[in-house]
Amino acid sequence: MRMWFVGVLILGLITFSGCQPSDKTADNATDNTTDDTQEAQQELKIAVAAPLTGGSAAFGEMIRKGAELKQKEINEAGGINGRMLTIVFKDDAGKESEATLVAEGIANDKKILAVVGHFNSRCTLSGQEIYDRAGIVEFSPGSTNITVCELSKWTFRNLYHDGFQGKFIAQYIDDVLTEIETVAVFFHNDDYGRGLRDAFVAEAEKIGLMIVASEAYEEDTTNFKAQLTSIKAKKPDAIFISGLYAQAGLIVKQAREAGVTSQFYGADGIDNEVFLTTAGSRAAEGTYITTPFVFGEDDPKAKEMAANFVEHHNVPPDTWAALTYDAVGMIAEALEKTYNPEAELAENRKAIREHLAAIDTPEEGYMGVTGLTYFDHNGDTVNKPAYVKVVKDGKFVPAEKQLLDKK
Amino acid sequence: MKDKLTPRNIILCIAICSLPWFLIGIDEISSLLDQYRINFGWPGAGYILRIIVRACLYMLLAIGLNVVCGFTGLLDLGYVAFYLIGGYTAGILMSLLDVHYLIALPLAVVHATAWGLVRGIPTLRLTGDYFAIVTFGFAELFFRIVKNETWLTGGVPNGQLRGVPAPTIPFTSISFDLNWHHYYHIIILLALVVFVTYRLQNSRVGRAWVAIREDEQAAESMGINVGRYKSLAFAVSAAIGGIGGAFLAQFQVSFSAQFFEFWESIFILCMVVLGGMGSIRGAMLGAAILGSLGEILRVALSKYPEIAGSRMLLFGLILVLLMRFRPAGLMYKKT
Amino acid sequence: MWAQYFEQFINGLVQGGIYALIAVGYTMVYGIIQLINFAHGEIYMFGAYFGLILITVFHIPFWIALPLAMLLCALLGMLIDYVAYRPLRTAPRLSALITAIGISIALQNLARMFWTAEPQVYPTDSLPSIFVSGLNDMGEVINVIPLPGGGTLPYRDVFILLIAVALMIILNLLIYYTRIGKAMRACAQNAVAANLMGINANRVILATFAVGSALGAVAGVMVGLSENVTPTMGYYKGVAAFAAAVLGGIGSVTGAIVGGLLIGLAEAFGADFHSGYRIAFAYIIMILVILIRPTGLFGKATSKRA
Repeated sequence: MRMWFVGVLILGLITFSGCQPSDKTADNATDNTTDDTQEAQQELKIAVAAPLTGGSAAFGEMIRKGAELKQKEINEAGGINGRMLTIVFKDDAGKESEATLVAEGIANDKKILAVVGHFNSRCTLSGQEIYDRAGIVEFSPGSTNITVCELSKWTFRNLYHDGFQGKFIAQYIDDVLTEIETVAVFFHNDDYGRGLRDAFVAEAEKIGLMIVASEAYEEDTTNFKAQLTSIKAKKPDAIFISGLYAQAGLIVKQAREAGVTSQFYGADGIDNEVFLTTAGSRAAEGTYITTPFVFGEDDPKAKEMAANFVEHHNVPPDTWAALTYDAVGMIAEALEKTYNPEAELAENRKAIREHLAAIDTPEEGYMGVTGLTYFDHNGDTVNKPAYVKVVKDGKFVPAEKQLLDKK
Repeated sequence: MKDKLTPRNIILCIAICSLPWFLIGIDEISSLLDQYRINFGWPGAGYILRIIVRACLYMLLAIGLNVVCGFTGLLDLGYVAFYLIGGYTAGILMSLLDVHYLIALPLAVVHATAWGLVRGIPTLRLTGDYFAIVTFGFAELFFRIVKNETWLTGGVPNGQLRGVPAPTIPFTSISFDLNWHHYYHIIILLALVVFVTYRLQNSRVGRAWVAIREDEQAAESMGINVGRYKSLAFAVSAAIGGIGGAFLAQFQVSFSAQFFEFWESIFILCMVVLGGMGSIRGAMLGAAILGSLGEILRVALSKYPEIAGSRMLLFGLILVLLMRFRPAGLMYKKT
Repeated sequence: MWAQYFEQFINGLVQGGIYALIAVGYTMVYGIIQLINFAHGEIYMFGAYFGLILITVFHIPFWIALPLAMLLCALLGMLIDYVAYRPLRTAPRLSALITAIGISIALQNLARMFWTAEPQVYPTDSLPSIFVSGLNDMGEVINVIPLPGGGTLPYRDVFILLIAVALMIILNLLIYYTRIGKAMRACAQNAVAANLMGINANRVILATFAVGSALGAVAGVMVGLSENVTPTMGYYKGVAAFAAAVLGGIGSVTGAIVGGLLIGLAEAFGADFHSGYRIAFAYIIMILVILIRPTGLFGKATSKRA
């Protein structure tokens, strides 16, 4: 008998924990609107799905901050056609199993019109099938895996993919860092690190850059001495770290300690301040990284956004905050042009996708802080260049020579 | 769950079978009320069904682990290996080789069973925690293999399989990809597994397992072929893991090695112990609680954003408290 | 070629020293109450955080912070035993295991709430300068011993090895030549009989937790010096150390030390051979040893029931 009771209890808990007369149905809802029914009816709700906890939580944090800033700016400017924008933050912890549940929760929410997210490519892929079936736009500000957008017409992203990034890094090393002839690749053994490595190696072989070693590490590795020893024995001119900031910081630190003098080169996964604090400024000095965006001095729009960001959050924005800021902006623009209060939820969701899919030429593109965004037939952004940053005096600064014309 | 068709069991059957429609009904009511601007904050039938399906999948796995841990009394820390083998066998067959689910599922089960037997041979003479750590080592090896051998998964890194097709009814194009499809799918598999293990438990085999659990030497001297019965337990347990894996492959559509980390084995073990070792109902109950607790806490804590981050902390504490007050498991019966 | 192997050997030894320090905590607790204390990896993690907080927030010099961190971890270990494990002494063994897992999850998330998920590093300017290896302003690598073939061995790693060896000697002296050590051995052999002989078993178990946790704290602080501190850092090294404890024969302190060194070496040479399978090599060695010697290198037969 007890089992019946507990079973019913569980079912009841699942059911009724959701059924409380409150408008906040999801994680960390940040409602700027009051409980006034009139106003609540006027809100437009979108979701931001990001790894707020787990191994890539630092990225999730900046994504949240970027989205909050854009939301605040939109709402202070009077909202979208007079309606306030509400953002629901959902934590996928960077895990696929969580991402599918988050996706299902979002797809079933009768108020959410579009999703900005997910960050990790594997999470974007996991949620994809559900968003696709539910007919809701999944707009990733961070997934760089090559195939992400090909598989669903509901998935978009506003940055380049790893196929481009890997190729770009190989070309940059070949064209700009000409003294480098041999490269060792040290990659994170997951979809991001390994996928990027494959793209890099393919291009390097094509243009005659010698790959002398290719070693893997796992997410929970913190001691890289063994791999570094075997890399060092091959005496590479440069070491390309295809992975994320936390491990990359330790790699650079431990490599310098072990007497490795090679040039370090990293990808956008390293683009975070934590890389510098972990590696120590002296060890990190001179490391090159590639990133989808830099806050250039001569771009007034980016400068203004960075200033507002610092004012609102007390920290400088990074690439991911800027990309999320733009993604929320694009969704808001789509809502402004297409939202029809009389129409069904599904129609409104579909209208957003139609609007985004129609942005397929530079003329129709959305001009945000990260540059012009428009999509190809897959939903990929193909025009955005990769920028190169270098660590100088303990800070990331734009490298002197950029290769912006590479497509 | 007696064998008889008591009114209670009939009601239970009807309740289980009509659950998706009940939930979809609430969905309708909720959207109806929505028109009158009454918001219940109903999270949606699809979401709840998905949580239930996931909990049912864990029930299946917990029953499978229970065969080795509960019936035979060996601590298995590497159960996830069979889940992994089932998942990748079915996933690779379906997504890369276009094999139909109805063929891929039995193949996955056979493959997992074979590995269960292979793992059994060297570990037969190990006892207690040495058995545990060797099973853990095996699982870890499989995990590393799918992570590193990308040729297995069609060149995609991290053992990632994408676009596993939904099962279709043979000779038609009707595919099973909606949440209520998954629900009936897992219920059928679960019923099958419960039936088989229940019959095994109450047969000569089950009694032999209990004898081995209670005292291996005594069992042997009573004429029980310990090696054979242990191998049988490994095979049954691995087969159930294979079923779970095959289901996961088509349920998740896109999955990677991340699903089969060591933590998953521990998680399933917690369900078995929480419910009460050796009890099928206990394993199911433990899986129902732990498999849905994470999401229950997510929804319940969403109203209090300041403590929403402590979801897993509460999870751990609940585990400790349950063990503190029901040390022998929730469904423990003294035998 | 040989220079590279020699360097890997050194890498393996240093890692192995850390594993040994953690493994001792597993094996001591197991020897007395037959419990796989899954929370031990988290105690090690807390040790690293305690050291970090003492140094950065309270500005305590490193040489005082290290014993303080040991003390705090010993208290934490005793608290866990008192609150969580003691009520389960007579319960089935697996319930204590699940409790340990629950504690492990709870501690990990507690650390995440206190100190965020972000990796943190020990500030180099408040450590004894001898431990701060790396580049100086001239671009030279300082505070290291050069190895043949261009490799280096930081002074810090030498210290890690020395302190590991010293603690192991002290621990052996403690176990074999003191009253409490004698009591521990008695309890490990037969807790009921020891109790009858007038030994307060609960107090002995508390002492065991204290000693094991303190050693874990040393490992935590040592790792914090060269790597970073995160709430999930206990997992990888905890599991490897557990494997080391089993490999050496769980319950045997000597076994834990030998096992730790073996796992460390297997990992280093494994990484050299195929980095994708780095830790897997350690597990293969472990499986082979157990299959050949079903009770580990130095172990006695354990109870049969799970």
